[in-house]
Order: sequence, then C-alpha cells, then structure tokens
Amino acid sequence: MLCERCKIREANIRYTEVIGGVATEHNLCSHCAKEMDFGQYTGLASLFDTDYPIGKLLSQLLGLKDGQEMEQAGELASLVCPTCQTSYGDFVKDSQFGCPDCYHMFDLLISDKLKQLHGSDTHTGHKPAGMAAQAQEDILEKPLTPEEQKALLRSKLQEAVAEEDYEAAARYRDAIRALEKQLKKEASVCPENAGAGGDQQ
Amino acid sequence: MTKWYEETDQMHDVFVMKRLRLVRNLAGHIFPSRLRGAERLSMLSELEEDFVPMETEEGQPYTYCRLDELEENSRNALYERRIINYSRVEDGEPSGLLLSPDEALGLVLNGEDHLRLQYLSGTQSLENMLARLMRLEETLGEKAPFAFDEKYGYLTTFLTNVGTGLRASVVVHLPMLSNGSQFRKLVQEYSRFGISVKGLSGDSNENYGGLFEVKNQKTLGQTEEELIGLVSQAATQLAAQERKVKSLALRSHRLQLEDEIYKSYGVLKYARKLTYKEGMTYLSQLRMGLCENLVQAEIPVNIFGIMLNIRPANLKQARAQDLEGEALDEARARYIQAHLPKLQ
Repeated sequence: MLCERCKIREANIRYTEVIGGVATEHNLCSHCAKEMDFGQYTGLASLFDTDYPIGKLLSQLLGLKDGQEMEQAGELASLVCPTCQTSYGDFVKDSQFGCPDCYHMFDLLISDKLKQLHGSDTHTGHKPAGMAAQAQEDILEKPLTPEEQKALLRSKLQEAVAEEDYEAAARYRDAIRALEKQLKKEASVCPENAGAGGDQQ
Repeated sequence: MTKWYEETDQMHDVFVMKRLRLVRNLAGHIFPSRLRGAERLSMLSELEEDFVPMETEEGQPYTYCRLDELEENSRNALYERRIINYSRVEDGEPSGLLLSPDEALGLVLNGEDHLRLQYLSGTQSLENMLARLMRLEETLGEKAPFAFDEKYGYLTTFLTNVGTGLRASVVVHLPMLSNGSQFRKLVQEYSRFGISVKGLSGDSNENYGGLFEVKNQKTLGQTEEELIGLVSQAATQLAAQERKVKSLALRSHRLQLEDEIYKSYGVLKYARKLTYKEGMTYLSQLRMGLCENLVQAEIPVNIFGIMLNIRPANLKQARAQDLEGEALDEARARYIQAHLPKLQ
C-alpha cells in the first residue's frame, strides 16, 4: 500500500486516530510519519528521527520491515558490550549475557523481553546486605515528627468523618489527644528535647 | 551420612520434595559462560579461593570436587539426583561442586553463572528452606560482592533468572489426578499465574510415576517470599485435588485399588528385570498405597529415594560397572528387591 500522504513511498506505519470515539486509520511511510503532526503526541514524530538505538528499536516495534529496517536490525545485532565483547546478535542467538555491564549496554533493548518473561522489569526482592541496611537507614533517618504524626491523624480523622465511620473517627480523636498529652508531658520534663522525644523509639 | 532422600521420617504424602535454587554472579566479573579455556579456569581458581572449603551451619564440611574431572557417568548420576543441571554434564568446562554430606545443600562454582546455590528437602517447608538459603547466600556475599542492579536486581547470564535468581519448586505425587482427562487443561491454567507444572521424569510426552514439578516461571518483579508463596499455593491446590480424587476412588473402587497396589508390590518384589518405566510405575502405585494406608511397610521406607536410585547412571555408579539394556534392567530389579521392605 502506498503512503496516503506522499503517494510515492510504501506505507509502513499504520496510525489510528480516535477523535470523539470515531477511529480513523492512516497508512503512512516513515518519512511522512516523521513530518506529520501527531497532535499532543508530537513526541512520537521525533522518535523516528532520534539517535540510534531507541528510534530504530521503536520503529521495529511499530512493525517496519522494509529493506532499510532489515539493515538497521543488522546494525542492532552488531552492538557490542565493551566489557565482555558480547554483541546483541550473540544475545539474540543464545539468550546469554556476558557480564553485568551487558544489562546497562542493552538496557533499552531488553525491557520488553523482560516484561514478556516476567510481567515486570523491576526487582522488588532481596537486596545485598549492605544495600538493605542503607535503605533501612534512609527510612530511619526521616521518622515522622510528632507534628507530622498529628497532621496525619487529623487528615485520617477528617476522612473517617466524611465516610461517616464514627468508630474509626473516635479512635483517631483519642490518638490525637494521647499524642498531645504526651507532647505536653515531654515539654514539661525536658523542654529542649520536646521535638525529638518521639523519635527515640 | 543419610542423604536427604533416604530420610524416612517424612510423611507419605502428596508432597514429595522441595527445591530452591539461587543464582548469583560476582560484581565486576565476566560471566563464566563467556569465558573460554585459560580464562574460565582462572575464574574457577578465583571462586575456589573465595569459597572453598566451606562448612554447613552444623559445622560439617562440604565435599568439594571438580565437575570437569569427574567421569561422565558420575556427572550424569549427580544430574539424576538433581544436584547439577544438564549443562554441567555436557559442556565439560572447568567448574566445581561443593556438596553438603546429606546432599541437601549444593553450590556449583563457575557453571553458567558464577554461583548456583541449591537446597533440596523432603520435609522442610519452603519458608524455612528460603531462610536457610538466604543465610548461606549472605555469608557468601560477605566474601565477594554480587553483581546487583537497583532496577534489575541480581544480574544473571540468562534473562529468565534475573532479579531474585530464585527458582522454587515442589514435586507432588499425583497418580490419580494425572489420570483424569481434565488434568492437562488444569496444568495449562497455572501458566497464567506464572507457574509451570511439568512431569518430573520420562520424556516430554510421557511421565512415569505420576510425579509433577510445580515451579515459578518468573524471577523478577516479585519478592522471594511472594514467589515461594505462589508455588506453595499452587502445589497445595493440586495436592488437595489429588486427595479429593483419591478419597472418591477409595469409596467407590477400594478393592480394585488395593488389588493394583498389591500386584505392583508383587512385581517389584519378584521381577527379574525392570525397565525404568516399569519401576517408576509400580513404585508410584506402592507409594500411593503407603500414603493411603492401604498397605503398611514393616520398616519405614522412602520410595522417592528408590525412584532416584534406579535411574541408569546411579545404578551404574552403585554397581561400579557399565551396564546396558537387560543387564541394567536386571540391576534395577535387584536394587528394588534389596531396598523394598516387607509388608505387614
């Protein structure tokens, strides 16, 4: 099919526009797609023009399969990890990475594959001991101050009232009172430490 | 020392065996699968320096051997007992194995990844096993930092292991359920939840002995605890189904079941030769009989241990000779007779 805009080149991008629930289909060549205004998705147009490899990768995802694209796939395969000399072609062939750096080198290329395999591309599990301790410290460094705690409880109280959950609201009210009482007590015992009193636990 | 698969204190239950495997690589090092010749050998030396010798938490030493220096049959026997994977049998590249005396904990050095930790058990819960394996992992990580990325987690040779590097599996014995016409469909359903259920032995078309392995397919995007929870849940569901089918069958066809089990015992006890398929099929029947208390053994027996030991490479290793064809089947029948307890 010829590109509906230039009517010269073969159309290789199918672009579906939905306006007011009505879908219209456009068949464009990559050259015209680049020049077209895609409305709020103008970012898309620039994708066809950007530097290697993301633009090419995306165009591959969009299903470009002309001679030029085959050539680009060849270029992609010859991308080489500087640390272990594994090329993207090697990886495609035997599904093996050569070193930890491959993950950064081929970062953009594997994201889809990972999502396909694992349904996710982000680790949420166990971390090395050093890093886990670091993360723990980060959290411990910023405990809620009593004022923040009070603000949090107040907003929860309001939420509960709005939802007419008076039982929960009463609990929050009591918790706020207890917190205020504690703050007053601490302030009277040791005025200079009043703010930090609740953080020691 | 008694191997984990010879322990007889395990219940004769649907759950046969549990396995956890963790893959780790050293930070700043090329993965072993990309190293050849001298480079791969020097990588192994570095790993040996870091991790050998090693002791279990109980203070027992792990044995260490170079896998590439073992005979092929010994490697095959380790593979049959699930201690190493098939690539360690095949490629003959320099790699090492640390193995605890009961063969439950294993650490392969310089396989496809720098470290492959494994824990096999018949009785432990996956939760306890994970806790112990993570303790081991932590001690190893103190000796040499692992390749870790904030986004991708632990970095591995294969994308199928990246993230947690954890593969958890439960082997369940489903002799009744797997005979059902809907079983294949049921099994396929699990893949939607990232769980694979596959026959444990035999080729892809035929599975001997009604043993199925339930394991996680995904390693990234879920925590270790979530992954073992998922596997546990799927295995428990299958086990519950099996028990349901069994109790139905017992109500309606008790005599027929008992007859099959006693016949199986008779064949195992008196056959002069047994193929692997025959051995597995009859042992599976007997195991079910013991599970359901349809027969009682005079002394406790771990049928799964026998199932592991009648595989070809292990039989050859036990007899210290190369056996083929009929000689192998004869050795198998003899092994089973020697290890089968009398019935009460």
